[in-house]
Amino acid sequence: MIGTYLKTTGLALALGGWAGMAAADPSLDLVGPLADYKIYVAENTAQLVADAEAFTTAIKAGDLDKAKALFAPTRTSYEKIEPIAELFSDLDVSIDARADDFEKAEADEAFTGFHRLEYGLWEKGSTEGLAPFADRLMADIHTLNERINGLTFPPEVVVGGAAALMEEVAATKISGEEDRYSRTDLWDFDANFAGSQKIYDLLKPLIAKQDPEFVAKVDGNFAAVDAVLAKYKEGDGYVSYEKLTDADRNLLSSKVNTLAEDLSTLRGKLGLG
Amino acid sequence: MTGCPFITDRRRLLMGLGLGAIGTLAPAAQAREAAQPNVDDAPHGHAETAAQSVPFHGPHQAGIVTPRPANGIVAAFDVVAASLDDVETMLRLLTERAAFLTQGGAVPERDPRLPPADSGLLGPVVAPDNQTITLALGDSFFEAQPALKPLKPARLQRMVQFPNDALEADICHGDIVLQFCANLQDSNIHALRDIVKNLSEYLVLRWVYEGSVPPVPPAPDGSTPSARNFLGFRDGSANPDANDAEMMGRVVWTAAPDEPAWAHGGSYQAVRIIRNFVERWDRTPLREQERIFGRAKNSGAPLDGGPKATERDVPDYAADPDGAKTAMNSHIRLANPRTPDADKHLILRRPFNYARGAMKNGHLDQGLLFIAWQADLQQGFIAVQNLLNGEPLEEYIKPVGGGYFFAPPGVAGPEDYLGSGLIDAARRA
Repeated sequence: MIGTYLKTTGLALALGGWAGMAAADPSLDLVGPLADYKIYVAENTAQLVADAEAFTTAIKAGDLDKAKALFAPTRTSYEKIEPIAELFSDLDVSIDARADDFEKAEADEAFTGFHRLEYGLWEKGSTEGLAPFADRLMADIHTLNERINGLTFPPEVVVGGAAALMEEVAATKISGEEDRYSRTDLWDFDANFAGSQKIYDLLKPLIAKQDPEFVAKVDGNFAAVDAVLAKYKEGDGYVSYEKLTDADRNLLSSKVNTLAEDLSTLRGKLGLG
Repeated sequence: MTGCPFITDRRRLLMGLGLGAIGTLAPAAQAREAAQPNVDDAPHGHAETAAQSVPFHGPHQAGIVTPRPANGIVAAFDVVAASLDDVETMLRLLTERAAFLTQGGAVPERDPRLPPADSGLLGPVVAPDNQTITLALGDSFFEAQPALKPLKPARLQRMVQFPNDALEADICHGDIVLQFCANLQDSNIHALRDIVKNLSEYLVLRWVYEGSVPPVPPAPDGSTPSARNFLGFRDGSANPDANDAEMMGRVVWTAAPDEPAWAHGGSYQAVRIIRNFVERWDRTPLREQERIFGRAKNSGAPLDGGPKATERDVPDYAADPDGAKTAMNSHIRLANPRTPDADKHLILRRPFNYARGAMKNGHLDQGLLFIAWQADLQQGFIAVQNLLNGEPLEEYIKPVGGGYFFAPPGVAGPEDYLGSGLIDAARRA
């Protein structure tokens, strides 16, 4: 099915009249990376279901410390596959929207999901009243899992996902708005980078030969990001976002925006419109 | 640079577009177009002002003694550079973009499967539109690089709070600032977008202020008055003559023997974001407003002049030793007491007015994007501001941001780049 879709796209592009930088028929080359990416997403979705079970169970059991400890690691599988998860915008809103997406902010009835729970656990310091939100999150994640399993991955979304994750970091993560109550933003950073780099690494063999300069630059920027994040590692995760220095935030910001600029050309390089 | 190739390109382009469009229009639509302008027509631009261009190359950067066009943007950035090589690459790239953006031309076409090279907001051909882009370096730019630190201009420092200031950290300072000036604000926005896109690897945006000044038709004798600020007063009446090269050599261009050689021909820039309490000002009696400034509001003339006095007249303070006409604590008398000594404090003001919507208290967020250029920051802006501390105008204004910067000398030619003298000096050291 993916193959057919790709064939059509490749044909349309080949007839487009532009002397592309990509092979005449990019479709066959992409089949392998897309299949690998689908496995990566499936593994992460399965992990998300399992982690969310533990997280929401802790909340419903009133175990505040355990719930707080599980919040950031549970989110990472979601953040890694955000380009795919975001295809279901209804679920993305109920799972991952932030208070300022709503007119009444935290008090808004439509405010649910991870950040509603985060607000309760950190700002209110209690699991009280969170059970309905925990149930809703679990149900949404099950629905997400089912939908992803039945999804044909659009190649331009997968290829474009590498840049989309960087746009996500640049727009809402670098400012420290994402996990404003728990300050676990660096866990999300790391997951977004991992998700972007996964896509890039899968596609790299297709472009390495024709564009070694591009590959060297992107590799260098991913490595620079890793080096900055490594300074803030603690246990299995990261220290509070507040510990990030201004200089390191500027460095991350410049790398993220440059990765977004460069990775935004991946679709074109691979002949996808 | 001449505007000729640009005009030819643009005419050809417009003709092409026009013919193409008419070819596809239904007869009724053609008739409509011929009859009268419609809601969806773009406002009429002016080919003449669009073609105006300011030379990019020269001994000094443009945008300093250049006549100020109607619109300006100041954007402050932090620089991400691991080495002197990175700094040089950044400066070369910035120079390349600024040269194109100020001189205009056709935007390169790319494979449509790639993101376009340009935002496209000015269309496929960028008009020069009097665009200037002026680079100035902050204290932190030099402090961040060990090789640059010893080469910092002698009077460059981090802006410190004056008594009436209420500085907001997120609109202060910056490793560098870029000042964009053009006839149309869209040109400035286009240029800023281009820089942000092309220099993402090196520049992280800190703050941006957009401003404008209200255009005024020239008088019958060809002279043009100073533009008004948001307090309704003419601003810049006492400016030194920017066409007087000898005067600019003293007032604006840095040349002191204790300044590093690379900095000669550059200039210190003081940027101040000065909020105006416009509601309160508009409730203040006219006579008091005039007493606070020391000028007549309509004409801009000093208060000791007759009915025919103009803003260019020089007040005679010797004849008014007690401030009966021009109050001793009026803005203009404090800033420039017209004593022989006052000459060394001259600065070249080139400000814009800004308006940024509403504040939490339900008041308008408006004010002056103050920009002053001088050869000596200490003797210039800092000395003048110290003379002004405590002035009655303070009740109506609140400086909240800005910073001090140093604009390196100009780009000599196509092989040169902004700040090359500094980088060369750093490599020699």
